[in-house]
Parts: sequence; C-alpha cells; structure tokens
Amino acid sequence: MSQPTEDPVLRSARREAVVVFLIWLAALLYTVPYCYLNGYNRSVESLKFVWGFPDWVFWGIFAPWTVCVIVSLYFGHQFMKDEDLGEELPEQEDELGLGGG
Amino acid sequence: MTSLSSALVLAAPVLTPPQVGYGTLFALVIFIVASMYIGVLANKAMSSGAFMKGFFLGNRGLGAWALALTATVQSGGTFMGFPSLVYTHGWIVALWICGYMVVPITGFGILGKRMAQLSRKTGALTVPDLFRARFNSPALGLTASLFIMFYMSFMMVAQFKSGALVMKIAWPASGSLALSEDATQYKLTTDKLAGLELPAEVRDKVAAFADQDFANEVEFKAALKEKLADGEFTAHQSKIVAAASPIDWLFYLGLGIFTLTVVGYTMLGGFLAAVWTDLFQSVMMLVGVVFLLILAVTAVGGMETATVEAVSKTGPGFVFGPGFDPTNDGREYLPLGLAVSFFWVWVYAGVGSPAGMVRIMAGKSTEVIRKSIFLLSGYNYLIYLPLVVICICGRALIPDLPPGKTDEIIPRLAMLTTAKLPMGSFLAGLILAAPFGAVMATVSSYLVVIASGLVRDVYQRFINPQAGSHDLRRLSYMAMIGVGAIAVLANIKPVAYLQAIVVFSGTGAAATFCMPALMIAFWRRTTVAGTLSSMFGGAGTMLVLYVLGFSGYGADRRIGSVTTFRPYFLLDLDPMLWGLLVSFLAGVIVSLLTTPPDAALVSKLFDAEESGSTPATKPA
Repeated sequence: MSQPTEDPVLRSARREAVVVFLIWLAALLYTVPYCYLNGYNRSVESLKFVWGFPDWVFWGIFAPWTVCVIVSLYFGHQFMKDEDLGEELPEQEDELGLGGG
Repeated sequence: MTSLSSALVLAAPVLTPPQVGYGTLFALVIFIVASMYIGVLANKAMSSGAFMKGFFLGNRGLGAWALALTATVQSGGTFMGFPSLVYTHGWIVALWICGYMVVPITGFGILGKRMAQLSRKTGALTVPDLFRARFNSPALGLTASLFIMFYMSFMMVAQFKSGALVMKIAWPASGSLALSEDATQYKLTTDKLAGLELPAEVRDKVAAFADQDFANEVEFKAALKEKLADGEFTAHQSKIVAAASPIDWLFYLGLGIFTLTVVGYTMLGGFLAAVWTDLFQSVMMLVGVVFLLILAVTAVGGMETATVEAVSKTGPGFVFGPGFDPTNDGREYLPLGLAVSFFWVWVYAGVGSPAGMVRIMAGKSTEVIRKSIFLLSGYNYLIYLPLVVICICGRALIPDLPPGKTDEIIPRLAMLTTAKLPMGSFLAGLILAAPFGAVMATVSSYLVVIASGLVRDVYQRFINPQAGSHDLRRLSYMAMIGVGAIAVLANIKPVAYLQAIVVFSGTGAAATFCMPALMIAFWRRTTVAGTLSSMFGGAGTMLVLYVLGFSGYGADRRIGSVTTFRPYFLLDLDPMLWGLLVSFLAGVIVSLLTTPPDAALVSKLFDAEESGSTPATKPA
C-alpha cells in the first residue's frame, strides 16, 4: 500500500510560513538592537537628522520599514504561490453542522 | 513669515480650548448614514445562498482590499490611545509601534493560506468550528468559543465606551474635546456631601472644596488627595468621587446613538456590513492622516523644526529612548525588554486574533490573500509613521496639554490647522470622524463574532442541531441585540482602564489562540488534550500575571504606561510572551504524552486527495 502524499497546499503554506517567520526574526534582530544601541540615553548635542527624522529613527525604523514594504511586495507578488483551496462541503451539510471525520 | 513664527501664531488660540463646530457633527452624521446604507447593501449581497454562511462569513467572497484593510488588529484604540502616547513620550513610540512593519506579511503569510484551506475542507464558518472539526471534538469547539466570547466581551464593553465618548465630543459647544475617560466636569455639591457617610474630620476637610468645579476626575482626585491623609484617601475616595461625578447626559446620548447605529447596520448586513464599513473607515482614516500630516508639518515648518521645538518644551527624553517621562519620577516608558516585547505583541496579536482568522477564512482565494499582504503593507506604511510625525508636530504646536488631556491632540491639531482653510470646520470634522468609524467597525466585527459564537457554536451545535434558517436568523438578531444591551448596561457606570482592557483582551486572545492555531494547522501529531492545554496554558499565564500586577504583587517596575491595571512584568517582558511560551510548551508536551489523533481524520486534512484538484497556475 502506497504512502499518501502530503497535501501540496500544506507544503507550500509551511514553506511560506517558515520564510515569513525568518523575515520577522530578521526585522526584530536588526531594529530593536539598532535602536537600543543608537537611540537610548544619548545627549541632545549628538543628535543628527536624516530627512527630518532623528538619525536613529531613520536608520533603525524608517529604513527597515521601507525594506519590509519592498519585501512584502516581492513576497505577495512573486514568492507566495497561488493554489486551489479545494471544494467546500455542500451547502446542506454545512448548514446542518459537520463532523470533520 | 518664518515657519516658527507661523507656528506660534497658530499655537496662540489653543490657550482657550477650541469649540467643536457643526462640521464635526455633520461628518459623523455622514458616517452614520453611510454605514446604514452599507448595511442595506450588505444585506442584499448576502441574501443569495444559506443564511449562516452569508451572515457570518459573507459567502467567502472577500476581495483583496476588504481583506487587507480589515483583518488585522487596528481598532479604535489604535487611533486614539496611540497619538496620546506619542505626544506624551516622544519618538520612542515609533519603536513601540514599529512591529507593524511585518504585521501584514506575518498576519497573512503564516496562517492565511492554511486556515483558508482547512476552513473549506471542514466547512467551518467560525474559528471554534475549525478547532472542533480538526479533531471531531465538540468539547474543544465549545472551549474555543467560550474563550473567544470571554475576550471579545471585555473588548466590546470598552469599545462601546469609546464610541459614546467620540459621539460626545462631536456635539457643538459640548465643551469636551478629549477622548479621555475623565474629561467631564466634577463638582461635589453641599447636598451630596451631606448625604455621604463620612467621619466628621474627613467631612470637614472635604467641605473645603464643596461646590467647586473641577475639569475632570484627575483634577478632582488631586485636590482630594491634597486635603486628606493617605489612609483617609484610600478608604473614602471612591464614594466621594462617585458623589462628585456628574450625570453625563451627552455621554449617555452618545452611547444610545452609537449602539442603535452599530447594532442596526450589523443586524442588517452581518459579516459583510462589518467588513465593508471597516473598509470605508480605513480609507477615510488614510485620507485624514495624509491630509493632517501635510497640514501639521507645514504649520510647524518641517519635521526637524518640530523635533527641536518639542525637545525644547520637554527634554532630551522626547527624542531618545526609553522615552520622555512627564511625571519625572524615573519611569521608563520603553526599556529594552518592552521594546523586544512589542515587536512580538503586534505581530502575534495579529496572527492569533480570532476576528482576523475568521476574515482570512472568508477570503475568496489565495490570490486575495497574497495581494492583501502588499496592500496592507503599503497602508500601514502610510498610517503609523505619519501619525508619529503628526503628534511630534502636535507637541511643538500645542506643547502644554496636561496629563489626562493628551488624547485631545488629534482633535485639537485638526481644528488648529484647518481653522484658516475654506470649509475648515467640515475638514476638521472629517478628520475627527475617522476614530468614530474605527470604533464602529471594531464593535461591528466583534458583534458578528460573538453572535456567531452563541448561535453557531453553542445553540446549533449543542442545543438544536436541526434548527432551520428562520430560527437561526431570529436567534442571530436576538444575540446581537442582547450583546448590545449588555454593553450599554455595563457602561451605565462607564468602565475604567479603557486602553488597558483593550490591550489585555488583544494580547490575551493571542496568547490563547496563536499556538493552538499553529499546531492544528501544521502539526499532525497534536491532540485534543494538547490543544486544550495550549489554550489554557496561554490564558492561565496571562491571567496570573495580570492578577499579580493588579493586586500589587512585587514592586511597580516603573516601566510602560502609567495605569493601575498593570500586569506583573516578569523579567520586564510583556505577559503575552510568557503566555506564548507556556502555551507552546504545554501544547507540545501534552500532545506527545497523549494518544495520537485519528489517523484517517489527520490524513483527510494533511494529505493530498486522491482525485483532488490540481494546483491552480499563477495568473500572468
């Protein structure tokens, strides 16, 4: 008897979830340490501005946020696969409740 | 005229509070009429097909814009509490909120596709439906439903109060601009004082300011504290404050109109009405924010000037971490632990939000889900950082709002910057109406989720599985009216700690549902006992840490916002992180220790169907 193959939607959903988790982790590991090291307890005299933002806000928040928008665009447009989500249970069954098995 | 002098000219009138003009009321009326109209449209759109799927899931027909702009954790609080935080603590709040940079991709990319697929495979209309069907376990479905109703009820009551407060400020010459919980006139009359049971010495001390007017509860309490000894204040303040509270007719009128509107259009159009009004308010919010950003930056003379001016009015803490401390008592608004925490909080509160999950289940296709990722990503980019900039400009233009009045910053800024423009009052009204729309949309979506919990997950599952469409429709309407009535009754004496309750409900739901949802979606080996343990582990951890904090266990760490409804910050981390950790460990350990789930059922949900459909090709 042959082993059933894994649902392709599950496989791609899991792959995408792992990539998204890594993107979140990268954003966390860059943003918070950068802001903590460059934006906490400084003297006002050392403050510089980039495009009107305090320097640490520009490089620690505005820049990574911009990168995340671009990454999200790529992810949604190119990386994530379209799949058939399958047929839904017939309406009557759905209306009366479902067993799941 | 230089930018700085123009700023000063603009700032001058705020010494006397500006009055709300008829433009605001007009804008709110437009919102209300538009929402009712949307309800009617939604009613027509869902009338084809079965009632339950139409009313509670919009016949799974959500498009990308509707899904993108409505499925995550934005609520009234996002646009009311948040500006106040920026005004109070400065640029550090940009770090507090910046987890939103990944909320779109995590909110839709981690669970979206799989949830949408599982809900179709099982025919699930609600999140508890999905939990139930994953193991064929009615007990798990019921538990999920009860948890959802628990958290949503907290949130509902708080949001009704927000809605009533926004209505209240819209009345011309109401004298109240703030969305603050305490913005009303307080006076302890001689008659009321005579009716209070108080020790003679306390009565004498309090009599010193009888018949005197106080702008709000904060000022009244401060005066009371000054007169009384610590012990006397603790023992008697609640009844003295209650006696001094005015009957706030505008609040109750606002509550009535808000409730009739939101329950009315949600009953008309169900899930679709909730989603479409949410979409409508999201677009209005974007227009308002972009418009106000241009006006505020122009008025102050540029972003750099805004920061320099704001720092000169406050201190270095306004531009650096851990944030400006207006009380000057050593409080750190965002220490490292909380900065890390909030990068988790926004993301996983989005992933684990039952209201968000159900909208993903309603998405039309994977194409809709992936498009939602970049649409929402662009939307957040245009909302959150601009709001920070607007409020920094606000601090430069209106530097001296006292604590308790900082919620006024957006309304004040809107009126200030539009005062000289043609149709300024109406433009200000449109900006002010946006938070009202946000609250209406939030309440509407929770009404749908709570009603679906009562009707679908409790009544149809456990009481009358054979109930027909007519009965279910009638019960759904009754559930919504009932929930609305309870929320109104709960606000007869308005709840305190509004913002803290909203945070507790959102993070509590995430700690309860995030890990279980991940497990049922991706892990074959998870069991009913494991999923239940994961839910109770997350919820229990949150509850314990909040009870410890609220009951005063451990010293106040002096971090985060000032509130009595504060949790116990174990290792300076938000309770949600501990909730997620315990939920994960409990789920994995208990699942591994219990009998594996039914192999046939797991295979049905995790393996390819033998004669299944082939994956669709991506459109060019």
